[in-house]
Amino acid sequence: MRSLARAFQKYTTELNRASNDPNIQLALARAVKSYRENTAAALKRFPHTVGLAEEVRAIKQSAVERMDDLVARAREAIEANHGRAYLARSAEEALNLVADIIGTGKIVVKGKSILGEELEIREYLLEKGNEVWETDLGEFLLQLRHERPMHIVSPSIHVPREQVAEVFTEFFGREIPPDIAAEVGAVREFMREKYFKAHFGLSGANVVAADCGALVIIENEGNARLCTAVPPVHIALVGIEKVVPTFQDAMKVAEVTWRYANYPVPGYVNIISGPSKTGDIEKVTTYGAHGPRELHVIFVDNGRSEMAADPLFKHGLYCLRCGGCMYECPVFQLTAGYFGYRYLGGIGAIWTAFVAGGLENAAPLIYTCLRCGRCVERCPVSIDVPSMIAELRRRIAALAY
Amino acid sequence: MKRYLIEVKKMALKLRGESSQYRLPPTVEVVRGNIIKYGNPLGLSGKEIAGWASDLNLPREGEVLLYTGGEYQLVPYIDGLVDMLTKVDQGSVGFSLMMGFRNLVDRVGVNPEKIVAGVLSGQRERYRNVSRQAAAVLQRMGLQICYLGEEELYSGALLYEYGFMDDLRRHARKLAGLIKGTGARTIICLSPHSAEVFKLIYPRIIEDFHYEVKTFTEALWDLCNSAPGRLVASFNGRVTVHDSCRMARELGITEEIREIFKRIKGVSLIEPEFNRRWTTCCGGPGKVLFPELAGKIAARRLDELMSTEADVVVTFCPYCLAALDKARREGQRSIEIQDIIEFMYRGMAE
Ligand code: SF4
Repeated sequence: MRSLARAFQKYTTELNRASNDPNIQLALARAVKSYRENTAAALKRFPHTVGLAEEVRAIKQSAVERMDDLVARAREAIEANHGRAYLARSAEEALNLVADIIGTGKIVVKGKSILGEELEIREYLLEKGNEVWETDLGEFLLQLRHERPMHIVSPSIHVPREQVAEVFTEFFGREIPPDIAAEVGAVREFMREKYFKAHFGLSGANVVAADCGALVIIENEGNARLCTAVPPVHIALVGIEKVVPTFQDAMKVAEVTWRYANYPVPGYVNIISGPSKTGDIEKVTTYGAHGPRELHVIFVDNGRSEMAADPLFKHGLYCLRCGGCMYECPVFQLTAGYFGYRYLGGIGAIWTAFVAGGLENAAPLIYTCLRCGRCVERCPVSIDVPSMIAELRRRIAALAY
Repeated sequence: MKRYLIEVKKMALKLRGESSQYRLPPTVEVVRGNIIKYGNPLGLSGKEIAGWASDLNLPREGEVLLYTGGEYQLVPYIDGLVDMLTKVDQGSVGFSLMMGFRNLVDRVGVNPEKIVAGVLSGQRERYRNVSRQAAAVLQRMGLQICYLGEEELYSGALLYEYGFMDDLRRHARKLAGLIKGTGARTIICLSPHSAEVFKLIYPRIIEDFHYEVKTFTEALWDLCNSAPGRLVASFNGRVTVHDSCRMARELGITEEIREIFKRIKGVSLIEPEFNRRWTTCCGGPGKVLFPELAGKIAARRLDELMSTEADVVVTFCPYCLAALDKARREGQRSIEIQDIIEFMYRGMAE
């Protein structure tokens, strides 16, 4: 017999443990402080961002209204660019598509992707007998710690440098000091070889332009660039809510995303619309020059259409995943991603209910939200999380009694 | 509506397939059960709730209804109840749907009187007095008020919060009937939570619920304006404001309190870093389900408020007052935390 009361009890114990963990508290305090300072500075330097965010909300609103059509157009554009595009209705379908392309016994390097978390793609590919490496530094660390991400932009936000040193010392089999530069150096050295040996590069995308099929990937480390450019085949997994009508819309979404994710400008913005090609010899177009010779883009629905069909919850699809709301959430500030399932924080509770985890896994999160509304103030697209939380509570109560 | 029902049914099928018991934690059950059975979240009697007004002879009918919803009177008991319930096995069969505060003794062997006794009488007095002081301040400023007395029911805000809409509808009908009986056209709510449900929810679920709903702070500000010079508070020192989430973000009320302070001689208002719509939550809404976490959130908010180096933190919500004051006591912090009602009354009494 499963009961929500029991689920709550277990979850509450974890939440309390997280809020008592000095490492989590230290790391979060540092992160929240920098986030606030960086964002304030970035918005001051680029004050047009606030107005642009309003424009982006309108773009997302109309894009979600015609999501199916935009996905179809994006697929056509990608195919026209000599890439392959697919639509997976469920998580299972998405995993099968990836497995069909990758097979077994391969090396896969993976960039950060929340959709990857939703699908538990790493675990799945490992089970299929592949070697899979997270290349985002934070995610690599979590892979070694067998933990799930604790923030959507900064997944290992809860681990301070001292603990990172311990993990790396054990994994690399040599002393790595608690010095951030040394820690980064060790991973860089290890990962280089993996990029060049890998058969497949796996990534997500922040936004996709339907008109030209361009995937936009925002990053800072350069790992996504290597993942998507070095291995001979690139597979991108994209939620269907990520598609906007035009390339210019996509750029606006990207700029607002990185600014609210606390960057004046990110280290790299990758735009990928097809496999690598050259026409340099006798003007004959040949695929697979320096970069991948194949690009596979898998659009994933997995509950998103259901959200889009609901007049209230469709707003949840506007989320850009900038992560700003989490830094400003009083519960998240104490518990990190323990206030979450695959998706985190208040907005994560909504995504958990519809997309990754179902209402039962979402219920404790839904009741954890204070409905204080601070996230709405921070959110570039003003997603009204408290109203959606109230509605989900109504649905849970309607089921329970 | 139809689509919504289909969604709910679909989700229900998904869940019922895997789960035979889909109950919420017992603390939520108790609160719900008490509201249904006794009319308020802790099952306190009307006498206990309305005791503050017993000798004031407030009329039952009038133009302006002072609505306490029992909230200030109830808050000191919440910590005791939550404390006790979190110690009891959450899966215990004793926690049935309709279990009320007063039934606990039979079901799980916990004596509710102990909780009542466990709350320091000073605390009890203080919160009971807030309602009394509210009436006194309004009357002193020339307002005629009526009050529902022992019949007054809680607004049902927690039923709304926890998602029990059918229960809220039934409860709201009873309360709306009582309010109608007063003949009032204006309702002054001491708590922003009741103001929120009266303003935003009741008109959606009750036919004919058309009142001018004001929070105490708004009422105070209106009185200041209609009769300038009648502001009676006096205080010398630094004051900082803790904006309640409901008040600042849900109801959009942030400036009235600041305008009031501008009119009080001797007050220098210092804003905390996070103020108005950027206010941070006191953790109060999480208290029933996640008391430990709520306590930590309150302590953090108190730190933010204390960094203003003000002499007094002024709040205007019973849950904020209780949460921040608990954090102050437990952290042995040397700052005073007062509700705007207490603050105004203090000036008046001096
Ligand atoms: S809900 Fe808003 S603030 Fe939070 S991650 Fe999404 S876009 Fe960013």
